[in-house]
Amino acid sequence: MKDSLIERYLYAVTKRLPAKIQNDVSNEIEALIDDMLSERCGDVTPNEKDIKIVLTELGSPRELAEKYDTSDKKCLIGAPYYITYKYVLKIVLICVGIGMIISSVISAFVDGFESFDSAGIMLQSVNFWINMITDMFITLSSGLIFGFAFVTLLFAFFYHKDIKIDSEKLDDLPSVPKNKISKADCIVGIAVSVAFAVVFLVAPQIFCVILHGEVFIPIFNVPQIQAQWYFIVIFALLGIVRETIKLIERQYSKRVMITTVVTDICSAVVAALWLFSDKIINMNLALEVTDIFDENFLIAIFSNFNYFFLFCILLALTIDVIETVVKTFKNNN
Amino acid sequence: MSVLSQLKEPMYGYSLVKKLQDSGIPIEANTLYPLMRRLESQGLLISEWDTGESKPRKYYRITENGIDVYEKIKKHWFDFSDSINNLLGG
Repeated sequence: MKDSLIERYLYAVTKRLPAKIQNDVSNEIEALIDDMLSERCGDVTPNEKDIKIVLTELGSPRELAEKYDTSDKKCLIGAPYYITYKYVLKIVLICVGIGMIISSVISAFVDGFESFDSAGIMLQSVNFWINMITDMFITLSSGLIFGFAFVTLLFAFFYHKDIKIDSEKLDDLPSVPKNKISKADCIVGIAVSVAFAVVFLVAPQIFCVILHGEVFIPIFNVPQIQAQWYFIVIFALLGIVRETIKLIERQYSKRVMITTVVTDICSAVVAALWLFSDKIINMNLALEVTDIFDENFLIAIFSNFNYFFLFCILLALTIDVIETVVKTFKNNN
Repeated sequence: MSVLSQLKEPMYGYSLVKKLQDSGIPIEANTLYPLMRRLESQGLLISEWDTGESKPRKYYRITENGIDVYEKIKKHWFDFSDSINNLLGG
């Protein structure tokens, strides 16, 4: 009994310690317990009560193991990252929540229009509202869990790899911003990125042309869009990273400029790889486009909608780069 | 500092616990043992198992580096306690 209780105690202490010190610590504590029992009982053989008193004096195995743990980072995210982590997490969850709610409502209405004969019947249907709320709850929960996991892993990585997010040198303290980046702009930016991704992944048919007031012809080739989901996810993540860095810095610093330029260039490459294919456009639209529109200008746009869409994205990204670079130089001079 | 001061000669953990307690410095074994291991990992102590006796025991003693550190913190302690004594009018 004596051996088994002490052995169990030693095992409980050492099982959480690094393998290379387990044996040594176990032998060391065993010798200590032996010394404590000898002092307590002298030449008398210790009974179970003596052993329990000595082990209680040593403390619980978990507490003792914790004292032997010499690692300096005993938590997932510690100081000085935790305060920034809380700030970013709060905003990302708000943005993801808003984005998910908007996209759930949009996709519910898009699906509803396909299933019901008219908008009036759809809005009066209890099933429509129940489905919408259920879908919203599921989408919202999974989105919030994903957002939480993404931010937590990112900051855990920063913390454990000692990646500095703020300089500690006095000379490197950021100047008081002349053009403070609005928090609301960043929140909207992240929410738009999330909503963009969800809408394109769940209901790309929302982008459609209404023919004769009742027939909806999707602009995009829905199965192709959904098969190439990774382009959409990468594009949205780049947007989230760009806005998150702005949220942390809250001013047009060099770091914001570099992140914006790099993420915008990456977004442009991803958008080009995604949209440089005719397969992405619904073939039926291309065939019927001449029937739908009378003006040659509109026919040209809808016949090559992927290039038009790419042009819009590249234009927006270019404006974003120019605006950020100009504001950064203004802010730093 | 108390631990470093006693380890010019090799000692095992429990004998050091007793010695410190007898000198009026109460310390629990479950605090001292991990502390000595940490001081060893910092290069201030060195340890060796003695398996020659009836009970195998791990003996610790101070290193050259440990002596340097000990002298510095001892000086700092005396200076600091002088300042506090002056402040308190002792």
